[in-house]
Amino acid sequence: MREIKTENCGTFIIPDAPIINTKYGPVKLTSQAAIVVPIELVQANNYNPNSVDSKNMELLRQSIVNNGFCFGVVTVWDADLQKFIVVDGFHRYDIFKTELRAMEISIYVLDQTPAQRMAATVQFNRARGVHQVDLMGDLVRALFEQGEDDTAIAKHLGMELEEVFRLKQITGIAELFKNQTYSRSWEMQEVDDV
Amino acid sequence: MQSMLNQIYINKNVIDAARERMTYIFDEFENVCVSISGGKDSTVLAHLALLEANKRDRRIGIFFLDEEVVYDSTIAQIKYLMSMYPENTVKLWFQIEFNLTNSTSIKDGQLKCWERGKHDLWMRSKEPDSIQYKPWDRTKETIRDKNKGFGFYDALDNFQDSRKDTAFLVGLRATESPNRWRAVSKNPGYKDVYWCTKRKNGSVNFYPLYDWNFHDIWKYIYDAGLKYSKIYDYQYKKGMGLQEIRVSSLIHEKSFKALVELPEFEPKTYDKLMKRIGGIAVGHIYGKDNKMLRARTLPKNLKSWREYRDFLLETYPDVSKRDIFVKRYAKYLDNNYVARQECRQLILNDYENNLPVDNKPDPREETIKKWRELL
Repeated sequence: MREIKTENCGTFIIPDAPIINTKYGPVKLTSQAAIVVPIELVQANNYNPNSVDSKNMELLRQSIVNNGFCFGVVTVWDADLQKFIVVDGFHRYDIFKTELRAMEISIYVLDQTPAQRMAATVQFNRARGVHQVDLMGDLVRALFEQGEDDTAIAKHLGMELEEVFRLKQITGIAELFKNQTYSRSWEMQEVDDV
Repeated sequence: MQSMLNQIYINKNVIDAARERMTYIFDEFENVCVSISGGKDSTVLAHLALLEANKRDRRIGIFFLDEEVVYDSTIAQIKYLMSMYPENTVKLWFQIEFNLTNSTSIKDGQLKCWERGKHDLWMRSKEPDSIQYKPWDRTKETIRDKNKGFGFYDALDNFQDSRKDTAFLVGLRATESPNRWRAVSKNPGYKDVYWCTKRKNGSVNFYPLYDWNFHDIWKYIYDAGLKYSKIYDYQYKKGMGLQEIRVSSLIHEKSFKALVELPEFEPKTYDKLMKRIGGIAVGHIYGKDNKMLRARTLPKNLKSWREYRDFLLETYPDVSKRDIFVKRYAKYLDNNYVARQECRQLILNDYENNLPVDNKPDPREETIKKWRELL
């Protein structure tokens, strides 16, 4: 159990996270130790290189509304600033605050040095997968077969209609040219230059 | 009155014209050999040639120079093309050692594909029936650039030079490579034929698809029901324009951008590639970034491209290659226009000079000077 005493907002009690054993040693289940704090106590860090485009911000907002706030914001306590500084989750925090106008937010509080915290931010940002194009195509087609139309798919997956159309297309690129006519042939010829 | 060479439209479409060209080549040459890359153009070319060979009950060479570090889809396509008409095909799948530039790595600036003793690192095992030793006289082997050593084009040259009286078919198209087309079509390379170039020993390179546009290629693939590399469909699904999609090599200085999407297309290929050679993750993350590899915008800590170039030269990690750049740049003008291009060469390990520097006065300075004179 850790206690964080704030100057103006009372004391926060951070429960001990359960620890499990793994092949790589003990791992803390930090996800079990979330606390809810007033959102004005949370503040962005000043080094995060991650940026999320507006389309994906919209998708993130939709995800929070549809699925709930599944992942708390990862922070550290800065006693000088009297703030919880974001290590990971700046964009979900931002949406919570400026768009959803939430007054509170759930966070985890790590106990880390500044260097550890910077590394953690990059680890969180980068250690994620990409979507294989052909499997993404399968997924879009499956949604389509379950009765969702293009517009709904585009909205729910945060895509442009164009992307949905392309991913859905199973016939392949050659099919697009079936009604084309062959070009006229030409030759290199000596001509008189007059 | 002078005469000049011009493109004249004729009263035929490209498919009929290409078939006639095939007939002509097969009439004139006993030995025919098609170079394939796994791309769409050489797929069409190989199919047209194989149809003609099949009609005449003849065998032709299907030649693939395997760089080892290629898409799995490319290999699938090569296997497809080589097994299409087995009775008319002489399989010339080359899996020999040669050097490739790895533009994304500082540590591994060069890759020796199929390097002996590195079997366990190869992207895949060799084909049981491929050609694994150089089938030419090693004492007469030619090398274009001693700095680089034996490379892709050397393998190509030596292979072609080892074959007499052969028609080599290449999928060059004028709209795709206008500069190369202009160079090869200046003079007839064989009899009165302009769509070819003469080689040694009575051999000739022919370009039967020279007048095809990209949509003719796709139309033919559709009409003939041919398979093609999946990479094209992936690129299309990722939103690339129909004219920009292409199956390229994965690591050299003009194609490292392919690494950006590789994990989305072929995650296993990407994984194997990362284990095979350094710099792959750099290419993946920064392949389309304007600062890191493409040298389009100046890093914020530097004031000019000239300063950046000097910095890169001073810190160039491979000392043996450094002198190549120092000597090369001593001959060039020292302005920011030239220096930006020099930066790009240094960043991409381009000691081979594949991205030549346009050595001329800085057009920006020229404009400024002109205005100063006016004002």
